[in-house]
Amino acid sequence: MRRAFDPIALTCASLLVLLLVLLPALGLSGALPIYGVNLLGQILCFALLAMSVDLMWGGAGVLSLGHGLFFAFGGYLCAMHLLRTAYAATHTLPDFLQFMGASGFPRWWGFADSALLTLLAVLLLPALLAFLFGYVSFRSRVNGVYFSIITQALTYSAMLLMFRNDTGFGGNNGMTGFHAVAGLPAGSLRAAVLLATLSAATVLLVLIGGRLVLASRFGRLLAAIRDDEPRLRFLGYDTLWLKLAAWCASAALAAVAGMLYVPQVGIINPGLLDPSVSLEVAVWVAIGGRGGLCGAILGAALINVLQFWLASAAPTLWPFVLSLLVLLVVLVLPNGLLDLRNRSRAWMDELAQPLPARLRGRSAR
Amino acid sequence: MSTGLSCGAQAPTPAIVVEALTVAFGSFVALRDLTFRSDYGQVHAVIGPNGAGKTTLLDVLTGKSRPRRGRVLLDGQTDLSRLSEVQRTLAGIGRKFQKPSVFEALTVRENLDLALRLHRRSLAREVLAASGRKQDAIGRSLETIGLASQRDEPAGVLSHGQKQWLEIGMVLISEPKLLLLDEPVAGMSDGETAHTAELLRRLRGGERSIIVVEHDMAFVEQVADKVTVLHEGACLFEGAMREARRDPRVIEVYIGR
Repeated sequence: MRRAFDPIALTCASLLVLLLVLLPALGLSGALPIYGVNLLGQILCFALLAMSVDLMWGGAGVLSLGHGLFFAFGGYLCAMHLLRTAYAATHTLPDFLQFMGASGFPRWWGFADSALLTLLAVLLLPALLAFLFGYVSFRSRVNGVYFSIITQALTYSAMLLMFRNDTGFGGNNGMTGFHAVAGLPAGSLRAAVLLATLSAATVLLVLIGGRLVLASRFGRLLAAIRDDEPRLRFLGYDTLWLKLAAWCASAALAAVAGMLYVPQVGIINPGLLDPSVSLEVAVWVAIGGRGGLCGAILGAALINVLQFWLASAAPTLWPFVLSLLVLLVVLVLPNGLLDLRNRSRAWMDELAQPLPARLRGRSAR
Repeated sequence: MSTGLSCGAQAPTPAIVVEALTVAFGSFVALRDLTFRSDYGQVHAVIGPNGAGKTTLLDVLTGKSRPRRGRVLLDGQTDLSRLSEVQRTLAGIGRKFQKPSVFEALTVRENLDLALRLHRRSLAREVLAASGRKQDAIGRSLETIGLASQRDEPAGVLSHGQKQWLEIGMVLISEPKLLLLDEPVAGMSDGETAHTAELLRRLRGGERSIIVVEHDMAFVEQVADKVTVLHEGACLFEGAMREARRDPRVIEVYIGR
């Protein structure tokens, strides 16, 4: 279990524990406004989504540009459950079903009455979709950018599908009008605190579990796939199954993130399936730093806080700030912000050398 | 074990037999009706000019390329044509690639740990197995390839030669019947080449057969019991290296004057 918890991971985990204590305390006492609680909760869901991407990208070198698909899948499943419980309480059909002239929910929505069955569905159905897609792709040895592009296409086609009203999930408008979350009125302070705390707990759990998995033999096999997949195959490992296992776990994780996200924003619509959303997740991970999951949390938190802040301060600036950050990371810190410590040490070493030696070094390059 | 191919007075046991093999990519014929065998206890060098089909031969043995005609028998009996790359590895064919292929992010010890499979039938058991039972084999392997003092270094910081030895160690640790080495000394210093020749001589043994594809003639002369000279996908010469050097056809197409 070596290297499972380096100082950065320990710091990250401690901060999450602190958050886990402070969130309920500050939230319920009113010290932190409901807006802040909600924002924190959403950012934690994004952090979870970023970790799911990092598990594949940093772990096995497989970049998904379509994890919005699994995120939205979990979100839609959760929304189905919330609509069913809302109907049980109010006996009014959601608008989108009324517009379609339906007299009730389609019968197969019945499973969503049970929170447990919904949770099972969130854990299994997106993973099943990932399995089918991953099996076909990995078996045909589709790798690298080609794989990334197909994940984008898959998300895009799912978006087109969900935009249609007759797909039955609210089309363009999506699904909203939730009544209660786990017995607490939707939109109430207590519901917000519960969801945000639950999200923080999940992030902490996934950080610890994920770090342990990455430090295990399975994690080393994923690293071996990243470094040289043919070599691993010629050592007698059928890499297809290793990649599939990680890929399905990653999809399930993204779905859990979506499940926690939707009740916090109170709506889900096909906008989440827009390829740009999935692309941005990869940007968070790249900026924070790949591999090890801490960078994913840092990147997701940093970018989203910046975005929320700029959205009110100077909304037109946002695309420029984001682009600048991406350029900065690509040019100066190719391994992300978490690499700043190592990088800065190298810069200091270079600066410490006398000028002639530095110039020699430069011309030698 | 009758293969229909006798060779010399005392017939050594063949590890691999290639019968009437033809490999073509589109209209380009890479191997033309090639018959070839490599015996246990031997180091068998395959040499020839660029494009002669040396690497293609290794690709067919490991399942990376499929032959158009002909077959390959392991131990003179197991027909390999139906086996996948992974199954062939598990059946006992180990390949060292031309460019050093090690897992750079992992330590030397971890590289060897992954390379040694204890549960060949079950990937799940392999993944979950404790690493305790592997320590002896890993220790022996570290001694053999001479990387014991670098055991906890990431493989990425090793020199070119050390990476090549590590990869040989990784392939050897599961004790393959047939060890395939694709240009093991390319890009090595003289010292590293000598070290590799020494390593190969120590690896020669009755339980394995070694096939080396190499351009370095001096190296081949040092290690090979037998050489096969390929030219345009066919066998031009087979025998001892000393005789190959004197063979007029070999001189003409390959060695030069």
